[in-house]
Amino acid sequence: MIDLLETCLSRINEEYAEMRGHTRRVLSVVVKDGQIEAVVKGLNRGVCARALVDGSWGFSSTTIIDKKSLHSILMDARSLAYSSKPLKKRYVKIAPVKPHVDEYETRMKKDPRSEDIECFVEEVLDADSEARNYSEKVASTTLNLSIVDDEIFFVNSEGARIKQRIVRCFGAARIIARSKGNIASAYESVGRQGGLEVFEETSLRDAALKAASRAVRIAPKRVVPGGYYNVVLEDKIVGLLAHEAVGHTAEADLVYVGSFLSNKMGEKVASEMVTLIDDGLFPYGFGTMKYDDEGVPAGKTVIIDKGIVRSFMHSRETASQFGAAPTGNARAWSFEYDPIIRMRNTYIKPGDWTVEELIEDVKDGYLLRGVGGGQADFNGEFMFTVQEAIRVRNGELKESYRGAAMSGNAFDVLSNVDGVGRDFKMHIGICGKEQPNYVGIGGPSIRTRLLVGGR
Amino acid sequence: MEGDKISNLIEISELAVGNSKKLGVDEVEGFVQRQRIIEVLLERGEIQSERVKIRRGIGIRAIKDKSVGFSFASVLDEETIRETCKDAFSLARASPKNPDWVSLPLPKRIPPAPNGLYDDDLSNLTSDEALNIVLEGYETAKEVDPRVSIDEGKLIVSSTEIAISNSHGISLYDRGTSIAFYLICVAKEKGKASSFAYEYDISRTLKGFSARKVGELAAKKALLSLGAKSVKPFRGDVILSPDVASEILFAPLISSVNADNVQRGRSLWANRIGESVSVRNLTIIDDGLLPYGLGSSPFDAEGVPSQRTIVIENGVLKSFLYDSYTANKANRESTGNAAREGYSSPPYISASNLLVSPGTKSLEEMISEVDRGVIVNRFSGKVSNESGEFSGIAKQAIYIEDGEMRFPLRETMISGNTFESLNKIAAIGRDRRATMMDVYTPPILIEEITITSK
Repeated sequence: MIDLLETCLSRINEEYAEMRGHTRRVLSVVVKDGQIEAVVKGLNRGVCARALVDGSWGFSSTTIIDKKSLHSILMDARSLAYSSKPLKKRYVKIAPVKPHVDEYETRMKKDPRSEDIECFVEEVLDADSEARNYSEKVASTTLNLSIVDDEIFFVNSEGARIKQRIVRCFGAARIIARSKGNIASAYESVGRQGGLEVFEETSLRDAALKAASRAVRIAPKRVVPGGYYNVVLEDKIVGLLAHEAVGHTAEADLVYVGSFLSNKMGEKVASEMVTLIDDGLFPYGFGTMKYDDEGVPAGKTVIIDKGIVRSFMHSRETASQFGAAPTGNARAWSFEYDPIIRMRNTYIKPGDWTVEELIEDVKDGYLLRGVGGGQADFNGEFMFTVQEAIRVRNGELKESYRGAAMSGNAFDVLSNVDGVGRDFKMHIGICGKEQPNYVGIGGPSIRTRLLVGGR
Repeated sequence: MEGDKISNLIEISELAVGNSKKLGVDEVEGFVQRQRIIEVLLERGEIQSERVKIRRGIGIRAIKDKSVGFSFASVLDEETIRETCKDAFSLARASPKNPDWVSLPLPKRIPPAPNGLYDDDLSNLTSDEALNIVLEGYETAKEVDPRVSIDEGKLIVSSTEIAISNSHGISLYDRGTSIAFYLICVAKEKGKASSFAYEYDISRTLKGFSARKVGELAAKKALLSLGAKSVKPFRGDVILSPDVASEILFAPLISSVNADNVQRGRSLWANRIGESVSVRNLTIIDDGLLPYGLGSSPFDAEGVPSQRTIVIENGVLKSFLYDSYTANKANRESTGNAAREGYSSPPYISASNLLVSPGTKSLEEMISEVDRGVIVNRFSGKVSNESGEFSGIAKQAIYIEDGEMRFPLRETMISGNTFESLNKIAAIGRDRRATMMDVYTPPILIEEITITSK
């Protein structure tokens, strides 16, 4: 396919144009309450063209892959760029990047293309049956396992020619338990970039059992009483905070329109215990790729270094706007989307406290565990729900509550950090910013102070 | 068949059925979709990008010995269709038996398509015209007040054709159009910013749509939330806007009447047909045949005729919503509530248009009856569809005292439980609105909600 793309592009004398071919093969198994809900195999293939004409972008995509059709989307992209130009205020320029000719493939021990799928169906069914047998209070289970195999070809008018194959193996368990007329749900996920060995290293069974035990534990419990408390946040909640409430405010397109971090470069916005990084090359990270979807090599971006803002995340466009170097953060979900600034693997660096030490000094507060959902505005205000809140009194874990909401301003929360754990875990996530994408979120446990909402 | 030559979608779905039969399936269904989508994105108050997408694909459901396999492809040439049929068949053979499987739906008489589901103006809309629609909304918002700026927005215009064929003789074609546009505005005064104000319009036809209205309302909402204050925590009355009512009352309600959730123990209403589940003046109908309805179609995503189903009548739970699988399991007829996200998704149960019967009071009258409470226009938080627990930040919230709107509220959390709230509805407004969730509801006044401000 890459030759076909290059042939099309070679006929164009644009200021700048690029084409991206993307083939996504998906295999997924969904089991609900012991019953196979779906075994799905799918193929999505298409090509997009993006052209920069006189400072204006145009974009077009198709699933019809022949010379004529590819030529026509390139022409469409140009004409859209041209016709939308009078409505745009900014004259887009892109920062220079060396055109790379390269290939990358996820390191795998077991390539899913050469494996039999029947074992997956078994694996999910087994995990499901263990979860259902965990307790008679388990009322309903939904488990899924997916393999997403992406091949991406990128060519541009500057001579870049990049071929990447990225394979992700992942799964999740949502367990619902009923007790005393209450109903509660818990969720755990597994996975990373890699071949089928991922499922041997991090089993869906363990995740399902963890979710089942939590759901059963919290189902009979009351909802947490609200208030402002000292809290210890578990690694995944820290990862969500790093990504959702902090990371987005360091995306240069949002910085440009006045996110919390605009005009804060070089300033202290968090406790000096906090170092926050977005890494495009994190080993086996869910958001890892060697090049982004503009052909820029991915690297490690230190956003907050010991509490001080050091860098934003850029596309070629915002790098030029800000006079900074592109960071390889321009990503697209599929051939139907143009690349926008996205995080890759975002985490807070571990410190040197044990989790016990973090809890020890809490007189009256909570240990928060398990991510529910959440939302954040680019001014740092966020609201997340956590699955379980465990009361801490005089450094000891007491009763469990369920379904707590936590909210506040992320930078207040990071400034209030007075302990960072030495534990560390990277998790998988799917982030939505107009278009979805796979990301890694991670961190250690941290101790801080925030508003816990209840009823 | 590829390229511009695909003219007849039914030919393709029939081809998939024919190919699969030759492989030896017991039953098979082919779902073919062709879409043209124009998207215009506003970001940072400027036109960020415009996309034209041509999307097409096929999804195949194959059944062998009560095992179901599903495969899809975005490529529609004969060879890919053959491969996709083989994939579905081999997945079915690899899957364990589902003893609850009975049959794909049999052909039935399909009602005539309701009026207003397809609009030539929308299906022929050019990308330049789409840009101008966005510009109109944008300019209107700007004209309302110089303190208002646009944070983001999006226009989506789609024209969709589908064909469904199955091995029992269903062979159907349908088409529809829609236009949806939203804007998020923020107002700034003396260095302070309002909260993000969200407004939208969604319609099946271009004539029924107004970008100007979206711009005007979004800007006015943003202005209304300038100068926000806090209040001490209290329990009081909350008026939910149609959007918030959809999110915190009707999403859990839809989940609870979804027959799949009912059969799997995920619904608190599983054994409550014929019982009272809400205040007496609540009546809710799922109407798949509503003219101009956002969720209307003559038949559902499995080819079962659409219908009107009374879900709640005067507070009493009357019916769940079924697709053919859950209907077979319960030994009854499907209510025509199978839906799909697209060709790549197997069918699942969804409400079509959920119609909440309006009351008699205007919003002003509802406000005048509140001693102490808030009106909430946007909700950012978590709603558990199973348990009905909701907790989150009330955005664009305005404090009401002695029947009058006093001031906008800052970062206020509201929490409660849907199923308790359905029994604490004090008033249902008269002015119904179609929300993005295909729920048609007026504003709703709930008593005794916890309101916490930092």
